[in-house]
Amino acid sequence: MNTFELLGMGFQNAFALWALLTIVTGLMLGVIAGALPGVSFVNAMAMALPFTYSMAPTQAMLFLGAIYVGGVFGGSISAIIINVPGTPASLPACWDGYPMTQRGEVRKALAVAILASAVGGLTSALVLSFAAAPFATFALRFSQPEFFAATILGLISVIAISKDRPLVSLMSLSLGIVIGTVGVDPIYGVARFTFGVPAMQSGINFVVVMIGLFAVSEVIDLIATNRNLRPSNAANANARIRFRDFWDVRGAIARGSGIGSILGVIPGAGATPGAVIAYGIEKQVSRDGDKFGTGIMAGLAAPEAAKNATTGSAMVPLLTLGIPGSAATAIMLAAMMLHGVNPGPLLFLNDPTMVYTIFAAMILANILMIFAGIGVAQFFSTLMKTPPAVLGAFIILLSIIGAYGVRNNIFDVYVCLFFGLVGWGMKRIGFPTAPLVLGVILGPLAERYFMTSLANYNQDWTVFFTRPISGTILGLAAVFAIWSLWPVLQARYRAVVLLLAGRPG
Amino acid sequence: MTKFGRTTAVAALMAGAMTLTGPALAQNFPDRPIELVVTFGPGGGADVMGRQLAQLLEPELGVSIPVTNVAGASGNAGLTRLSTSPADGYTMGTLISLTVASWAAGIGDNAPEDFRVIAVVQSTPSFLFVAANSPFETAEQLIEHARANPGTLTVATSGYGTQDDVALIVMAEQGVDMVNVPFSAPGERYAAPLGGHTDVIYEEPGDVVQFLESGEYRPLMLFAAERHPEFPDVPTSGELGFDMVYLNTFRTLAVPAATPEDVVARLEAAVIAATGTDAWQAFCSETYTCLEPLTGEAAQEEVTVFMQAIAAQLED
Repeated sequence: MNTFELLGMGFQNAFALWALLTIVTGLMLGVIAGALPGVSFVNAMAMALPFTYSMAPTQAMLFLGAIYVGGVFGGSISAIIINVPGTPASLPACWDGYPMTQRGEVRKALAVAILASAVGGLTSALVLSFAAAPFATFALRFSQPEFFAATILGLISVIAISKDRPLVSLMSLSLGIVIGTVGVDPIYGVARFTFGVPAMQSGINFVVVMIGLFAVSEVIDLIATNRNLRPSNAANANARIRFRDFWDVRGAIARGSGIGSILGVIPGAGATPGAVIAYGIEKQVSRDGDKFGTGIMAGLAAPEAAKNATTGSAMVPLLTLGIPGSAATAIMLAAMMLHGVNPGPLLFLNDPTMVYTIFAAMILANILMIFAGIGVAQFFSTLMKTPPAVLGAFIILLSIIGAYGVRNNIFDVYVCLFFGLVGWGMKRIGFPTAPLVLGVILGPLAERYFMTSLANYNQDWTVFFTRPISGTILGLAAVFAIWSLWPVLQARYRAVVLLLAGRPG
Repeated sequence: MTKFGRTTAVAALMAGAMTLTGPALAQNFPDRPIELVVTFGPGGGADVMGRQLAQLLEPELGVSIPVTNVAGASGNAGLTRLSTSPADGYTMGTLISLTVASWAAGIGDNAPEDFRVIAVVQSTPSFLFVAANSPFETAEQLIEHARANPGTLTVATSGYGTQDDVALIVMAEQGVDMVNVPFSAPGERYAAPLGGHTDVIYEEPGDVVQFLESGEYRPLMLFAAERHPEFPDVPTSGELGFDMVYLNTFRTLAVPAATPEDVVARLEAAVIAATGTDAWQAFCSETYTCLEPLTGEAAQEEVTVFMQAIAAQLED
């Protein structure tokens, strides 16, 4: 049977009533979990795992896959509506999505986010269906130096996307990298910066930091300033959703989908760096690049497409090689193993029905996500009408549950509340918080890839530049860095020239 | 707690607690859900083992056994949670060799004597594997090449200070010097030989079943006293002339050390029954981890001996 026939059979299975119900239920759960600030979709998948014991293996995968697809999108709903990202990958949605909400264009922002996410997800589901094998071969060529280079590109993008103060962003990012080093280091197993507190050995988890910096600090700010979370409902001529708006961002969506599909196959990279890098690249490419951060649709569409485009390709290494690249795919692997199914090349030979049903379901889930997304977004929009005090209490409660739920560790709740205070302070003095979170996420990854690369290549640091893929990515990162720092350097240079010129003699 | 329960508890306290509640507790044990703390995140070997066992223990003990993942600090975060829980048998945890190795390196605030090992349920030797397209067909070829070119062959392992590291150090001392490349993320480690990023991988067979079945991995050498029944053609390190202590990867179920004897006995009996079921046998044979569960002193000893062996190596 060729791919089309197999996929056709997969669709038949996926359209069966039980399968369709499983997918829809999973999607709804995923979108809701993703949208609740604090509760991540990885949480939701872990909680759903015991429920899959009684399901058939294929159904279990459809259920978890749908939660995954829905959850990766869901985080953007709260990012756009209340400026609190539901998952780390939705951080970029705050930057241009929330300003649109403030202008009264919330419906339009949500529509763009849903459409971009669906197109991104669909693109990568198609890649998964038709090019899993070549993609897996491609993924295997990526080794530690390539992962390191991709992580560096992510870190540079963070600086590149800061509007006009790259140096302040750099400080925030560095602080995040330092926080990321706390705990038992992954290579030598030595405890660092734990100050003798055993609980600190577990390290500072980035999801916990994110919940503190964004959700908790937002509520503290709400209490302190007594301001209204509700955006202006003033009628805005721009708020109408027109087809042309989507057509205008087609380039951004296409680029985001491509970037996400490629980055998704890298183990450990996943949705967050994908979204950030897509945002950074879009900012350089777009005509409105310098206006990014003020509510530009392209700035919302690119990272949205990218983060959902990682979902399908993240499943490529899982299904073709049996290698989970992220926390979400690791849970899927557990579900398969508990059913006695070993993913890998043999799965395609032994049980193509299962594989192609999963493929069809991923395609279907991304289309159905448009409806699930609109439904949940409608519901969440009513949150804007709830009194700020109630909303604040609700967010704090979810934050505590979410921080605890990451690792079932009470210490994480204290860390989360601490970062809530820190985040509020940072906001008050105008210090950007997003680079800090990204530093906590990417710093430890960069370190691990760096150390393993050196061990693997005889402690030779030139390997990062001499390996073709790694060298290309690092070259791109260098271009990025110069591009974004150019205005600063230029200004400094002018100041120095003026200073010298002004000096007599 | 119900009103009745509260009254009983208060009454028991007033009556002079210990003598009354101690036996009563054990007779009814268990009468409420038992929490199983898995000390690593969802999806890993410890998690799959814990979840499988929890499912099979439920009918044996007649209560539900929810699994909680408490990951962090090489499994020590979860163990700290376990050791600080009441020692009444209502909290169990996974205690695995990787965490024991971390104690030898000074990580965590846990020690073997803080826990009572109910049973060692999985134990497996490790192999050196190469990818199917590797130039090394046999262990002799690999060893010969490593002797001639010390420090050039790379081996993907789970990290420094682990049993993987110890095995490589001992081999290097005996003239076969290969480079330890630590991959703490299992998925990246499994991919390393497949992508040609490392020459060899040190791994237990159960974690790479998919590559063994598909023929993408070739086993070259086994670290055990005797040949593995599933891989009768693969020579042991002893046969190849190495003199070393064999450190199996093991996974156990443990409770806090102060847990009453009869509660431990009840759990032990349940674990033995659960591991005797067809479901467990299918699971363990698929992951090459079957063994008669070690219990009592023998189980406790497995942990201490392992820790001493690693510590001795790290001191050198």
